[in-house]
Amino acid sequence: MTDAFKTFFNYVGIFFVIYMIGYASFLFLSVAVGSSMLYKLKRQNKLKNELSGDYYVPVSIIIPAYNEEVTIESSIRSLLALEYKLYEIIVVDDGSKDNTSKTVCDAFNMHIVNRPIQRKVYCQKEEKVFETYEYKVPITLIKKKNGGKADALNMGINAAKYPYFICMDADSVLQYDSLTKIVNPVLEEGNVIAVGGAVRPCNGTEIKNGRVISYKMPNKILPCMQVLEYDRSFLAARILFDKFNGSIIISGAFGLFKKSIVIDAGGYEINTMGEDMELVVKLHVFCRENDIPYRIRYATDAICWTQAPEKLLDLCKQRRRWHIGLFQSMVEHRKMFMKFKYGLVGSISYLYFLIYELLSPYIEIFGVFTILLAFAVDLINVPFMILFFFIYVIYSAILSLTAFFSRIHTIDLKLSLSDVLKAVGLCVLEVSCLRFILAWTRGSALIGYKSKKHSWGKIERKQIELK
Amino acid sequence: MRVESIIYIYGAVCVSMIVFNIVYNIILKQSESSLKKRCERIKKQIEVQFDYIKTNGSIEQNHLHYMEHSLSRVSNLIAFERVIKDAINNGHEEEVNKYIGQMHSVSLYLAMVYSRRENMQAGYFTYFLSNYAVKKQMPIDSLQDILLSYVKKDNLYCRINALSALYNIGNIEHIISALKIQDDGVIYLNQKILTEGLLSYTGNYHKLIESLWKNFDSFSEHTKLAVLNYIRFKTGDYKEKMLEIMLNKNAEKEIRLSAIRYFGKYYYEPSLKYILDFVYNDDPSMWEYATVAVSSLEKYSGDEVIKALKKAIQSPNWYIRYQAAQSLDAHNLNYNALFDIINGSDRYAREMMTYRLESGKLQKVGSVKQ
Repeated sequence: MTDAFKTFFNYVGIFFVIYMIGYASFLFLSVAVGSSMLYKLKRQNKLKNELSGDYYVPVSIIIPAYNEEVTIESSIRSLLALEYKLYEIIVVDDGSKDNTSKTVCDAFNMHIVNRPIQRKVYCQKEEKVFETYEYKVPITLIKKKNGGKADALNMGINAAKYPYFICMDADSVLQYDSLTKIVNPVLEEGNVIAVGGAVRPCNGTEIKNGRVISYKMPNKILPCMQVLEYDRSFLAARILFDKFNGSIIISGAFGLFKKSIVIDAGGYEINTMGEDMELVVKLHVFCRENDIPYRIRYATDAICWTQAPEKLLDLCKQRRRWHIGLFQSMVEHRKMFMKFKYGLVGSISYLYFLIYELLSPYIEIFGVFTILLAFAVDLINVPFMILFFFIYVIYSAILSLTAFFSRIHTIDLKLSLSDVLKAVGLCVLEVSCLRFILAWTRGSALIGYKSKKHSWGKIERKQIELK
Repeated sequence: MRVESIIYIYGAVCVSMIVFNIVYNIILKQSESSLKKRCERIKKQIEVQFDYIKTNGSIEQNHLHYMEHSLSRVSNLIAFERVIKDAINNGHEEEVNKYIGQMHSVSLYLAMVYSRRENMQAGYFTYFLSNYAVKKQMPIDSLQDILLSYVKKDNLYCRINALSALYNIGNIEHIISALKIQDDGVIYLNQKILTEGLLSYTGNYHKLIESLWKNFDSFSEHTKLAVLNYIRFKTGDYKEKMLEIMLNKNAEKEIRLSAIRYFGKYYYEPSLKYILDFVYNDDPSMWEYATVAVSSLEKYSGDEVIKALKKAIQSPNWYIRYQAAQSLDAHNLNYNALFDIINGSDRYAREMMTYRLESGKLQKVGSVKQ
């Protein structure tokens, strides 16, 4: 029996050594590439290697809204303060049960119009359309039957007048120069069909007219840990994937898309919880299958501020939703896995998301159970295990801090000593505790997910305080 | 032992990351203070030269030699730019212009130096040159020749700034050469960037356009479109040429569409017949021509035009209907004139027209309130 256990643990050990080397190498590579890219961008800006003229690509900003009466007015006002000339705002009220539409109508003096909307991509029918031209840019409000976020976004695409559209969340705030920055890749390179913006938690940050007045780490522990996690996992990894046109996620909170290609690809998939990821993977598949030259870019300097969940329950809800979305997208487009036609997206990106995102919670939970089992049969070297865990925590924490400080240094933000200490202390807590809680959450996400496929998955968020 | 070595590797990575963070932070803090010191030093030297200009009318030769050497370092060039910018903002533009005006030899020397540097530094030099160091009609052929070599570089910003410098200098021959060079397909220059660049040219635009026409066939479709957009934004004096392009069935689609748009901006009676032909063409593959033609009819009046627009609003194509409603609204027709559409049997035409009238009213209210 002991021999059987030994053989089992031997194989498990080999598997985990390979798994961890893969993860550590990826983490190192992404943080190293991400940081060096941020420093390169800073130098590029210093040496004025940037577009300085007023080149305006017309953009439609689509805000899908569901029960957003508290946040919607301030969101629209913040969009009206953007330093950009050629854009329109389209709010799609997806059958809210509160007064979302009324709030918008009252706040912006909207008038009902009999606007015909061409169905270029599938969505539920509109009930009422309102418009106003009394502000810097036209605002349209479409009230429609409830169909989910993807359905609301599809309605926005159908109503959009301009060749590029931006999707964003109703409770996020765009930085004053974010449109200019997100459009730049389109001007700099031909064939750009989508650009992802950088989404950052704004808890603790003071924002006035879309500008950061003061930046500090959030007071609460949970959002503070998410700030570090965002920089390590999202910022660094996305920069790395961007290097080989391998990004398969553009956050639903802030992304720019070429409308015609999205329509040709069929728009947002309404039967998925991760419509943002699904669309990007779909665009890769569509372009590669039809031999359309394309680029999907990531603009690190196009910033969208969002409220990170402050309660653990809300964070778990959010991550569960992301995990289900990831699962659905990967299953839906499984044909691209390791196929030559899909290039590095089908191999590196897909493999990474499969092993280190989709399956990682199960692998990690399996690892913990193996440790417990080994402990029970007295086949574990406890001091070595503790040392290994300690090394893992320090390694991950240092990479988190490198990504975090790279971002802070390269955008000239100043942190107080207390914030630096907070970041150092909490990154240890994040990799040693929060990571495992979220692994458990993600691991259990797929249980009974089918019943929630059209749900908006709302989490409790405070209104972003804009000065 | 194997596992230990992995742990040592991880440890080494951790230490190197910590060292990197600390060193970079120190460098970052020092670089700003050293830039300030550089600026102070350069400012003092320039102020002395400003005094020389006031008294003698020219700057010292030694200063020119010193600047050639000093500004060869990009960090000094950045400081120099900052000082010049501050001086202009503080109301010393005249002195700056006189000072820069005597720095041709330095500019030429630096152009040679930076042409051999890495792309980012070359890009910065062309930025500096286009914003401060070159002015309209500067007779410096050798500098322009070097600028053409910057246009060849595979750096987008270098190309844009070098083109911008050439537009500032204003030599048409060199501008045309630069446009041909950038057309090599190595670096993508967006049409908007090309058009905006041409619009920044402040010399005799008729002469520039004549040269552009002469070389038109040698440009790629991408550049041709930028040129046509430039001409459309600039002047309505090239109607015959545009009509020729509009009627040329061998020309690329976007080029012909651009020519139709020209007649939507500038009224030209002889073009109307052909625009109407596009509107009446029921071939579904020609819908883009019909849409742009319908849009151009905003500029034209008469029964014939209204009749064509009323036909277009009943098109099975959504975009043609949308544009037709917009053009009809632009003609400010009264209710009676639109009665047949608003109360007609074509539901799609009715809906589109009704919406356009509602939306048009809101736009008028909006423009008054803004």
